[in-house]
Amino acid sequence: MTRLVAIAAMVVAASAARPPAQAYLKLGALLNGTVVDVTWREPVPYFVSELGAGSASAADLRGAVARAAATWAAVESAQVQFAFQGMTTALPEVIDGRTTIGFLDRPDLDQVLGATSFMIDTSTGAIIEADVFLNSRFLWSVAPAGVPGRADLESVALHELGHLLGLSHSAVGETERTSGGNRRVTASGAVMFPIAMSAGTIAERVLHPDDIAGISDLYPTAAALSETGAIVGRVTKNGQGVLGVHVVAFSPETGVLIGTFTLNMEGEFVIARLPAGPYVLRVEPLDDADPESFFSAPIDVDFGVTYAPRMVVAPAGGSSRSIEIRVSAR
Amino acid sequence: MRLRLLITSLILTVGVANADAQVTISGGPSWLGGHPIGTSTAELRTNAPGAEPPPFTLFTLDSRIAPSVAGEVRVGVEITSRLSVEGGAAFGRRRVPFSITGDVEAGSQELEGESLQHYVFDAGLAWQLVRPRGTRLRMFVLGGAGYLRQLHQDRTLVESGQVYYAGAGAKYWLWHRPDSSRSLGVRGDVRLNVRRHGIDFKDTVRLFPSVSLFLFLAL
Repeated sequence: MTRLVAIAAMVVAASAARPPAQAYLKLGALLNGTVVDVTWREPVPYFVSELGAGSASAADLRGAVARAAATWAAVESAQVQFAFQGMTTALPEVIDGRTTIGFLDRPDLDQVLGATSFMIDTSTGAIIEADVFLNSRFLWSVAPAGVPGRADLESVALHELGHLLGLSHSAVGETERTSGGNRRVTASGAVMFPIAMSAGTIAERVLHPDDIAGISDLYPTAAALSETGAIVGRVTKNGQGVLGVHVVAFSPETGVLIGTFTLNMEGEFVIARLPAGPYVLRVEPLDDADPESFFSAPIDVDFGVTYAPRMVVAPAGGSSRSIEIRVSAR
Repeated sequence: MRLRLLITSLILTVGVANADAQVTISGGPSWLGGHPIGTSTAELRTNAPGAEPPPFTLFTLDSRIAPSVAGEVRVGVEITSRLSVEGGAAFGRRRVPFSITGDVEAGSQELEGESLQHYVFDAGLAWQLVRPRGTRLRMFVLGGAGYLRQLHQDRTLVESGQVYYAGAGAKYWLWHRPDSSRSLGVRGDVRLNVRRHGIDFKDTVRLFPSVSLFLFLAL
């Protein structure tokens, strides 16, 4: 068994370096030379730590986690189940065979709202234990309408539970540089975007299509397998594949935006679990979050936003023919 | 299903009513006018307070079906000297270009889009106006309804809908066999088509014109 530490951190600003994610929407484990999805093979059994934070009690946390878990479990195209096991005196980030969600005082991580760590079975990719800590250094809120200046506990719990289920970060979102050199989110298209909305916002209590596609890819229902499709393709620059390109599929019929990355040196990508239909593909450099929050290898961001020349159909229960999208240096 | 029943019942009616009815077969190209299929905006969730903050526009997409030429075959059966029932089948490829505007990181652009396979199977009625003496020309008006089937590029997704049409045209006889009713001529018509369903971002009724020029053979 291997412990994968802090793959999944949600930050208030992306200036802090973090360990890389291993895949685009999903976390992956290398088994016999093949990357496999990291998933639960049973309803997620979790405990909530009895240790509160100054601005939120353990009961507040339990309630926020329950609501966030219910939001993931309500995705119709995914089979996700949580099983609350009770309160515990144990703390998260302790290897004890229990999945624990709780507050921790981490002054050393002054930009990190929360993070998730895993213990997986390296022979199957099954998650055995996953702990979520929320940084009690921050001011938290569980008020239904939010509280200005306080991070929304349910929103951050929803993000961290996405990691706990096996999702990595999404790059569907827009940011701007602040005068202090940090990034501020201007708009989000995924709860799994690595940078949190401003303190006081509560909109990220609701999943986006990108999150739904990701969780449906990890835990698909039979209907999701037969009713959704995939778009496959390749992004090239001067004839060579490009790693780490952000590719977003947009459905003009439904308005959904679902993203992925090119994940190898050939520049290949797959966007799975798309509702069947035609899509416009938009390709952009990974410049709205720190690239190292997604990839350990250096990636090319020297190209402009490019659209695929034609729409691509995601067929129900199948994959599109591969499309090549050529980008050029700025 | 309703349309299939309509076509079947029309053909049966003709067969029972007039076993000696004249049959006219016509075919040729039809020009199909273009029409928009909608505007769609890619939106994100703005970083603002409240449960439903205003949307952030990532880009806007406009798309349309471009004008194209289809091949069409029609079979008409005379019910009376003035009224005939027609069935037709048309096939063409229709291009769906799109344009991107308002992208927060890129300029406006026109893109090639995709190519649809477009089929229409229809049934309708044609009413012949009185033919002036000594002329080879006869005007008619027509109307009907059809089943629309559109296949996206790579034939991986089908969109279906209906087409309703009304129009007018003329037949011009080039040749007539004296000892029989057989004749040959050209026929042109102009139709206004109302399309319901099929590929459309807003699933709205769309209008488009069509112009046909056929050779016909009356048997």
